[in-house]
Amino acid sequence: MTALTGTPLADPSAPVAGTPATGAARQAWRRLRTRPAALVSAGVLLLLVLLAVAAPLLAALEGQDAYAYHDDLVDSARGGVPYGSFGGASADHWLGVEPGTGRDLFVRLLYGARISLLVAVGATAVQIALGVAIGLAAGLGSRWVDGLLGRITDVLVALPMLVLAIALTAVVPRDFPRPLLLILVIGLLGWAGTSRIVRAQTLTLKSLDFVAASRLAGSGRWRTARRELLPALAAPVITYAAILVPTNMVVEASLSFLGVGVTPPTPSWGQMLSTAQTWFRADPAYVLLPAGLLFVTVLAFTVLGDAVRTALDPREASRLRVGTRKENSR
Amino acid sequence: MRQSSVISRRVAAAAVSLVLASGAAACAGPEDTGAKGGTAGKAAAGTPQKGGTLTVLNSEAQTDFDPARLYTSGGGNVPSLVFRTLTTRNREAGAAGSKVVPDLATDIGRPNKDATEWTYTLKEGLKFEDGTPITSADIKYGIERSFAAELSGGAPYLRDWLVGGDTYEGPFKDKKGLASVVTPDDRTIVFKLKKPEGEFPFVATQTQFTPVPKAKDTGAKYEEHPVSSGPYKVVKNENDGERLTLERNEHWDPKTDEERKAYPDKIDVRSGLDEAVINQRLATSSGADSAAVTTDTNLGPAELAQVGSDKALAARVGTGHFGFTNYLAFNPKVKPFDNLKVRQAISYAVNRTSVVNAAGGSALAEPATTFLPEQKSFGFTPYDHFPAGKTGNPEKAKQLLKEAGFPNGLTVTLLHSTAQNRATSPEIATAVQEALGKAGITVKLDGQEPNSFNEKRWSVKDAPGFFLSRWGADWPAGGPFLAPIFDGRQIVTNGSNYNHAQLNDPAVNKEIDEINKLTDLQAAAGRWGALDKKIGEKALDVPLFHPVYKRLVGKDIKNVVISDWTGVLDISQVAVK
Repeated sequence: MTALTGTPLADPSAPVAGTPATGAARQAWRRLRTRPAALVSAGVLLLLVLLAVAAPLLAALEGQDAYAYHDDLVDSARGGVPYGSFGGASADHWLGVEPGTGRDLFVRLLYGARISLLVAVGATAVQIALGVAIGLAAGLGSRWVDGLLGRITDVLVALPMLVLAIALTAVVPRDFPRPLLLILVIGLLGWAGTSRIVRAQTLTLKSLDFVAASRLAGSGRWRTARRELLPALAAPVITYAAILVPTNMVVEASLSFLGVGVTPPTPSWGQMLSTAQTWFRADPAYVLLPAGLLFVTVLAFTVLGDAVRTALDPREASRLRVGTRKENSR
Repeated sequence: MRQSSVISRRVAAAAVSLVLASGAAACAGPEDTGAKGGTAGKAAAGTPQKGGTLTVLNSEAQTDFDPARLYTSGGGNVPSLVFRTLTTRNREAGAAGSKVVPDLATDIGRPNKDATEWTYTLKEGLKFEDGTPITSADIKYGIERSFAAELSGGAPYLRDWLVGGDTYEGPFKDKKGLASVVTPDDRTIVFKLKKPEGEFPFVATQTQFTPVPKAKDTGAKYEEHPVSSGPYKVVKNENDGERLTLERNEHWDPKTDEERKAYPDKIDVRSGLDEAVINQRLATSSGADSAAVTTDTNLGPAELAQVGSDKALAARVGTGHFGFTNYLAFNPKVKPFDNLKVRQAISYAVNRTSVVNAAGGSALAEPATTFLPEQKSFGFTPYDHFPAGKTGNPEKAKQLLKEAGFPNGLTVTLLHSTAQNRATSPEIATAVQEALGKAGITVKLDGQEPNSFNEKRWSVKDAPGFFLSRWGADWPAGGPFLAPIFDGRQIVTNGSNYNHAQLNDPAVNKEIDEINKLTDLQAAAGRWGALDKKIGEKALDVPLFHPVYKRLVGKDIKNVVISDWTGVLDISQVAVK
């Protein structure tokens, strides 16, 4: 996640020092810094990542684990609703316990964050890698290659992704690690948007002078792609990635919600939402915690993605630059 | 976003179900818990009156509304309003409701000495909805057509029991009829069986024993308008039973029917509804919903948590029991479950409190240590061969594992389904996993979607060693409960096998045959109970829990009767005025 908070914005252009991209990235980062919403979002995401990474430590601190049942903490006669207020929150169980099982919600939410973030970021990485590769190939390849890849992309866009994902996750053997499977399924089915953006950008860039110059200087097709096109594509791709992450997070939640995500007893936010849905009135805390976390995370990613897009947009940039200068001159 | 729409729809349904609680006052007190036997809600107060319209809100449509195609008697459900049978359930709440009583016949059947021949005499004055008299030939014809391949769906008992039943192909192909069903005169019918079957009167409650006039039979289309012998007739049937309208059958004579009360003038069945929506509508009870019931929807745990804190609502909840057992099944053909000590260790390690909570809590499930349900009619004989206590005995389990040669514990795989049924579902499986973990048994979960789950557990060839299973009774007696599960001759190698343990013990088989000869149902029940206790020693399964049903009714509903035969609200007893 730090990847999206700033530093890596400069990364893609780093190897090609001296090109205009470096300057643009630096400027974008400067502009981004001045937007409080973006910084708050980045902070929230950073905190979430830290919490997820530190899950075992925090669990030890609370003295609970994600799987232990506590039959004595739920009212069996009333459907297994936790005793006490706010879902049975106490000094032992900071955020209460799960109805029916009495498992600790705090620890399950932390471990759930691991799955949700891992799957969302992993799937985005797969989508971006595939999308860029296929988009570039379509943009640079012959008309025949472009046509073929274009049709494949169209088909993928038309496919009902969730249904296909359910079918795919259902046929894969149970022993296959589920988070990896989710990353692959969501990644392999969701690259079409990226590839379309990259192809369009490539077609535009191809006709620009610096690309033509590179070709004339004797660069091969792939050298041009690597040296000239990729750095120029970084901005739109990074922006799109920031939008894809929250989308993927929701897809993971939907799949787990429908019972084809991670397998029990592994917690994930989607799986928690799925079991929590009927408990809204009887035990609101149980629903609100995972729902609230998912909401905050998706919102943070979206706000940050939007900010990155604005910061990298040359048209927005010219407008913003005035403000920046003013601030600098002060 | 495509994917989010799925969530929003489900969440919307959930939100609706939660409105159920909106009328709930916050005063505490779990009043409505654990009362045993079918208790009718307090809403049943006041003398029931004739008239009005009863609305039935169901989730499943009443498909295949043909007496040949319905499985078992339909209990308190819609079919028993239209179809009368030779015998029927005793329409009383609780344990009294698991008795067989006469319906079209004058008694529950007269057996010959070894219970291979059963004779029934029809009451006088019985008529179809068109006024023509019901004769024994109509009943014979109804039974014969249930053998036709195009009218499949009924229970297999007649095919297995009647002489020539296994080869008969139904009246459309074989005009001669079934020789083992004899009608010496218009009011007498005799059944000739291959083997002694003391529980035949229970089977005679099934809708295959409904009279069908041969002249009105339209084959597969008969279900659109089956000819009524009961208090109501079908006026409208839309979308294969999704919307049914029943009105009074003027030719039904209450003097011939002691069981069905038939208070409402009209019955309006609406199905295809979400379960949460049904419960919410019944709780709110606005408009026609105040005179509504459901015959297929139960209260869930979260809804119960809410109802528990609202006395007015709790008074409208009825409790039902149905002979049903959820259990952990072993296949001793697979290692390490061939080892008795391993099976015993698992029996000791199970934490039934966690399992019951996973099944919805003590109001929706009762811990089980016996395979037979805790009802007298089944011959329930208490036993607990491997006492795990309330929360399991991991120490004893570890010791047994050591004796079995697994001092460092072992790893096993548990097959379960991904269906959200709180019976073979992931919640139950994880509760078992957690408890066994404490005894050093690492359980890997193998969750499969319901179809492949059933295919696997019902297969002799592919059945894994350890899986969740469940069994319900076709009628409240030991026979249909124990025989399919433990009779070695009922191991089905090329179809659905329910004898998961593949037990083929000559002593058990012989005792089953002996009990089937008894026509004294009470004596038979005692023997079934003793047999259950004896088989229990082999640790071929770990009984987990028996489900309990909580049924909510609309606020104007009177005379709520829920029997232990099916645990379903008896729609023939309900009044709306």
